Amino acid sequence: MAKAYDHLFKLLLIGDSGVGKTCLIIRFAEDNFNSTYISTIGIDFKIRTVDIEGKRIKLQVWDTAGQERFKTITTAYYRGAMGIILVYDITDEKSFENIQNWMKSIKENASAGVERLLLGNKCDMEAKRQVQREQAEKLAREHRIRFFETSAKSSVNVDEAFSSLARDILLKTGGRRSGTNSKPSSTGLKTSDKKKNKCLLG
Amino acid sequence: MERAKMAEESLETAAEHERILREIESTDTACIGPTLRSVYDGEEHGRFMEKLETRIRNHDREIEKMCNFHYQGFVDSITELLKVRGEAQKLKNQVTDTNRKLQHEGKELVIAMEELKQCRLQQRNISATVDKLMLCLPVLEMYSKLRDQMKTKRHYPALKTLEHLEHTYLPQVSHYRFCKVMVDNIPKLREEIKDVSMSDLKDFLESIRKHSDKIGETAMKQAQQQRNLDNIVLQQPRIGSKRKSKKDVYTIFDAEVESTSPKSEQDSGILDVEDEEDDEEVPGAQDLVDFSPVYRCLHIYSVLGARETFENYYRKQRRKQARLVLQPPSNMHETLDGYRKYFNQIVGFFVVEDHILHTTQGLVNRAYIDELWEMALSKTIAALRTHSSYCSDPNLVLDLKNLIVLFADTLQVYGFPVNQLFDMLLEIRDQYSETLLKKWAGVFRNILDSDNYSPIPVTSEETYKKVVGQFPFQDIELEKQPFPKKFPFSEFVPKVYNQIKEFIYACLKFSEDLHLSSTEVDDMIRKSTNLLLTRTLSNSLQNVIKRKNIGLTELVQIIINTTHLEKSCKYLEEFITNITNVLPETVHTTKLYGTTTFKDARHAAEEEIYTNLNQKIDQFLQLADYDWMTGDLDNKASDYLVDLIAFLRSTFAVFTHLPGKVAQTACMSACKHLATSLMQLLLEAEVRQLTLGALQQFNLDVRECEQFARSGPVPGFQEDTLQLAFIDLRQLLDLFIQWDWSTYLADYGQPNCKYLRVNPVTALTLLEKMKDTSRKNNMFAQFRKNERDKQKLIDTVAKQLRGLISSHHS
Repeated sequence: MAKAYDHLFKLLLIGDSGVGKTCLIIRFAEDNFNSTYISTIGIDFKIRTVDIEGKRIKLQVWDTAGQERFKTITTAYYRGAMGIILVYDITDEKSFENIQNWMKSIKENASAGVERLLLGNKCDMEAKRQVQREQAEKLAREHRIRFFETSAKSSVNVDEAFSSLARDILLKTGGRRSGTNSKPSSTGLKTSDKKKNKCLLG
Repeated sequence: MERAKMAEESLETAAEHERILREIESTDTACIGPTLRSVYDGEEHGRFMEKLETRIRNHDREIEKMCNFHYQGFVDSITELLKVRGEAQKLKNQVTDTNRKLQHEGKELVIAMEELKQCRLQQRNISATVDKLMLCLPVLEMYSKLRDQMKTKRHYPALKTLEHLEHTYLPQVSHYRFCKVMVDNIPKLREEIKDVSMSDLKDFLESIRKHSDKIGETAMKQAQQQRNLDNIVLQQPRIGSKRKSKKDVYTIFDAEVESTSPKSEQDSGILDVEDEEDDEEVPGAQDLVDFSPVYRCLHIYSVLGARETFENYYRKQRRKQARLVLQPPSNMHETLDGYRKYFNQIVGFFVVEDHILHTTQGLVNRAYIDELWEMALSKTIAALRTHSSYCSDPNLVLDLKNLIVLFADTLQVYGFPVNQLFDMLLEIRDQYSETLLKKWAGVFRNILDSDNYSPIPVTSEETYKKVVGQFPFQDIELEKQPFPKKFPFSEFVPKVYNQIKEFIYACLKFSEDLHLSSTEVDDMIRKSTNLLLTRTLSNSLQNVIKRKNIGLTELVQIIINTTHLEKSCKYLEEFITNITNVLPETVHTTKLYGTTTFKDARHAAEEEIYTNLNQKIDQFLQLADYDWMTGDLDNKASDYLVDLIAFLRSTFAVFTHLPGKVAQTACMSACKHLATSLMQLLLEAEVRQLTLGALQQFNLDVRECEQFARSGPVPGFQEDTLQLAFIDLRQLLDLFIQWDWSTYLADYGQPNCKYLRVNPVTALTLLEKMKDTSRKNNMFAQFRKNERDKQKLIDTVAKQLRGLISSHHS
């Protein structure tokens, strides 16, 4: 079967309930926005294919419920993720303070070396800002990860954030994967590739 | 001519002289004075003397005759006469002296007499003049009065004066020149009176046109007050009633109408009486308009014999005004004030006309006014139909209905038939229902769009009671639970329920004052509510369910919500019954179809869940990355499938509150879809070659699915029911992996066949893919006996399968 993509990257969004994770995914995958808040139950995902550095990357973005009672279900998905996006709400200081807890959760459940990204959502609501940009930039530097302020509502920095993460993942893994399976190769090489992929996927 | 007069005078004088002479001859001396005086009164003294001389000579001749006859006697007589002569001479002297004295004394008297004569002449002239003037003076007085009346605009009295002058006074003195001037002026004055009266009438018509809406407004207000009074009376008996009280009666007029200060009344006895009558009918109208000009004008034209002209003019002008009044403003439909002004003008017009009808004799009659009303009614109804169709605000339609009812009631009081207006109100009611449905469509859309599709959390008894107060939900188990706890339904359930009740109130409000029976109202409300439920709410729910981005969360909650709304329909039935007081057992009562709406919505949501899940499965399948040429066997299922199964597990795990049947159906639908998709993946034309190893890897994936099915992700399935979804795949894969063709071919068609569900066409298709693989490797195969043997076997089986297919198709 000829694939329609070169790579499949699995991304996971985590963060407090109500910060806008689902809205970010819908904006990215379907370029839509719904202002009514409907809390996510369990797990969900959207898929979108993007071009990064000439490669067709299929991004499978998993949306998680931020509520505590779904923690068991959602943490089961950490291990399969190649990139994890931590989301807070710039109008909700508590959601930013909880980023530390989400970081801890990643360390406990995710694969070592997973790419991370920090997003401060709802940047269109400047009048209600509670988290200064400088605070978030400082936190990002401490964890050596990228940081974006986004607005799912105004479509600010959403594509940029996802593309940035995809590019980082590609840089980390791209050199080791072949373009398509249809390319002839020795059995040994194929086995080696598969094993390495397995290691990456954890 | 003068000679005749002189002759007459001479004769008279002669007769007079004869009388004097006889008097001298016959009268004593003592009386001769007056006799002689009468001679000197005239101017005929000369003639008298002549006559006297003549008489003396006659007497002398007589004496001579007697003397001749009686000489001695004569001589004696002469002697006596000579004596007499002496005496006579004395007497003559005495008389002459007396005469001279008299003449002297009489001069003053004559002068005085001349003066007296002059005075008498003047007096006679004056008397004659006075007599003439006595005839002329009334005419002049009348004319002066006429002028005054004209000047002070009192035209009807002026007209009476003029008539009197013309027919009574002027004929008596018609020969004078000034009277001719008057006679010539009378037609002009008459025309002037007519013209001025007509001018007054025109001013009057303008006045009533200008004040029509004020008059109408006052009349409508009075009708409103009367109705309020009636309502108070009607409400008395119901104080003890358990029936739910209706909403407050709509009040149209808030502010007091400013009264224009009344015009000064003309001094007229007739008007006083009429004014009193008018006060009893319409107090406001008289304050706003002075009706006296029309009365005066009518009288004037009647007296002038032009009453018919006046009537025709009046009616013509009023018809024109009616058409103007009935012309609605182009933007009347935008506000209630537009309609109110329109109605006020119409009512004002007809109140005035009714007043004229009852206060004049024949200026307008019932036939004329009914004709006008017929025209007015048809034009009004046409205008209302046109403009009300532009209304998109149900509140405005409701206010309009109240206004129309008031309009109809007001005119009915004046005796105008208004049934057509009430018929039209029923049409407006239908339009009102449509407007309401549109409004409620928006309401429902807002409610559903803003809902968070999560169970309502309550943290206190107060909040719990509040929700239960809004929506008739009873659950003993939930009631016992400690706080915080959750209602199973989301916010839109109590909101939708309350909005349905508000809709019912809105429908009821329109039916007030339309003189409909309770049964009619009940029937209408149920029909409208059915439309709301089966069309408006149904469409709103369907729109949400079919929304592109609808998630499983929303769909699941909608299923739960519609279940509760469906149960609440019986309470809506009770609500309508209480409101209209019509028992449910009443014959031909319309039933609510709400339960159908909610069943349909729930079904659609369920279908959407199945579709949604299947779409998710498709997205996972698009990630499938099989190496169909692999010779190596992995020890676990494909990554994409592991993720897929995990997704399904977590989805069904979190939707524990999904109704059992729905969860089971969704799970079965997902498994069937997954199995079908995997089969298609295996058989699709793009996969031209595959190895046994690839099949074995694929088999691991199918086993992962079967394990999911066995694990009971959703309670309620019998032990192996869910696994049946994958049985086709299972048998196909077993056949190929175990290479059990002898059994398959031998048992084909038997009821208890081990590979009953494997279609020979399917088997052949898959076998061909393995054959191609072998053929490609033919060069290498030549060097290995087992490979050659396998190829021969594949060819043999393929041949047998073709035979099987052809024999069963014939």
